[in-house]
Amino acid sequence: MRLNNHNIPFKPIVITPPGSLDLPNFRELWEYRDLLFFLTRRDLKVRFQQTIIGVFWIILQPVIQMLIFYLILGIIAKIPTEGIPYPIFFLSGFVVWQLFSQVVNTGAYSLLSNIGVIIKSYFPRLVLPLSSTLGSLVDFFVSFLLLLVFLLANNYPITWRFLLIIPLLIITTVFSSGVGMLFGSLMVVFRDTKNFLAFILLIWMYITPIMFPISIVPEEYRILFYINPLTSLVDTYRWAFLGRGSLPRVEYFLVSFVVAVAIWFAGAIAFRSMENKIADVM
Amino acid sequence: MTQTAIKAENVWKEYHIRHNLEGPSSSLKELLNAPFAKLFGRSKTVAKPLRSEAFYALKEVSFEIEHGESVGLIGRNGAGKSTLLKILSRITRPSKGKIILYERVNSLLEVGTGFNTELSGRDNIYLNGSYLGMSTQEIKQKFDEIVAFSEIEQFIDTPVKYYSSGMFVRLAFSVAVHLTPESLLLDEVLSVGDAGFQHKSMEKMKELLSSGATIVLVSHSAQTISEVCKRTIWLDKGMIQMDGPASDVVQHYIQFVNDHSIK
Repeated sequence: MRLNNHNIPFKPIVITPPGSLDLPNFRELWEYRDLLFFLTRRDLKVRFQQTIIGVFWIILQPVIQMLIFYLILGIIAKIPTEGIPYPIFFLSGFVVWQLFSQVVNTGAYSLLSNIGVIIKSYFPRLVLPLSSTLGSLVDFFVSFLLLLVFLLANNYPITWRFLLIIPLLIITTVFSSGVGMLFGSLMVVFRDTKNFLAFILLIWMYITPIMFPISIVPEEYRILFYINPLTSLVDTYRWAFLGRGSLPRVEYFLVSFVVAVAIWFAGAIAFRSMENKIADVM
Repeated sequence: MTQTAIKAENVWKEYHIRHNLEGPSSSLKELLNAPFAKLFGRSKTVAKPLRSEAFYALKEVSFEIEHGESVGLIGRNGAGKSTLLKILSRITRPSKGKIILYERVNSLLEVGTGFNTELSGRDNIYLNGSYLGMSTQEIKQKFDEIVAFSEIEQFIDTPVKYYSSGMFVRLAFSVAVHLTPESLLLDEVLSVGDAGFQHKSMEKMKELLSSGATIVLVSHSAQTISEVCKRTIWLDKGMIQMDGPASDVVQHYIQFVNDHSIK
């Protein structure tokens, strides 16, 4: 083994035809952590530089959505929200949904929107969906602050329950990132995945208890909600934010985490297998 | 003692050319429609099944490049030069065969890869540098040098969208030539900027070479190749026609092109 410029042993790189299954190469990802950082920074900077109101834009979306649903479901339809003021109920679920849908969307488009650099330079392509996931987390923290303001204004205290948000956030992010990569790899092969994705996310949002509590859903339809991993996640977030309902058992977190990691790997493997094709089909 | 830098063993690259020219090449819609359309026997897309034809961009390409060598890749349009460079740069993978890179290889296939015009020159130096495989520390060390070489000091914190095209190219090229690769793969990027800047770039390239870096340069230009490279590989229709000292190969290549353009 010879030494390179930095006197680090260089392991020869063997370029072979693509295999059927390609696993993510974590060591290489780690070597490209600088690129991951600069890409995340690029996305954030560009996003905030292009708009006059910058960071305010992130909170505008949940606020507007909240006002619309508050008017329709809270004031007009008067749906019961388990004694929680409707705006609080909505926002505590919507911040989670916003994180999920943003990670899925940006992850799914990450190959297509960076096609220019993909066909001109080498770097582990997984850096792309990972950086968009990190960027979405920044957005989450901004909308989380908004939620905090609403909670404090409505006399909901900040307690030790909030610590639970950390494991929940890990599970949500890993799961969403996996789903995003699954769609991202589909998009390379089938261009109209775009149309599908928007539609799937719309349906997905309606079968997640964000704008109404699951308690008002008739028994026979609840199964639709419970096959959706986001349902129990959102419920648990609400427990952490508002202290309503009950804390799931430890096993729940373990199972969710394992499922999320499994989905992530499925997404990463699909993504790795498709990234070999993208430079050839574009 | 010489050491191998890059080794290619019997490399093939196959592309599939689709002959169905209607609409997107493959879509979920087609896939889902197909069985139904067949059922009702009224489809245009199914009546014309996708015909795809194999096309070999590279055929049994083998060579070995020693550390410190400067190798030119020459050939007509569609000869497979760019495909070979893309495989060496790990942008796409071969269909058959194997390539081994024994040292750190950076490639420069385009000036300004990943430049974002909304961002400042400074941000773009870091972004572009990390695409090219430089570490942040490495970029920091060379930052002043990069800026000085590009001659845009006073605009370094201005968004690149306000740059003139000359400024843009100078900045982008400046990052690229400040790479310290062991091997550098280049795709006709030498011809940027005005005459003065071109001269500066050529000098920089020669400096890189004399520092002992391995260089693979793709070009149509026999002149550039003869000036920079000692050895040249001539590709035609995906196969190596000739591999040897630049002066010999370039001479044969020019002869070949002249013969073929007369016909």
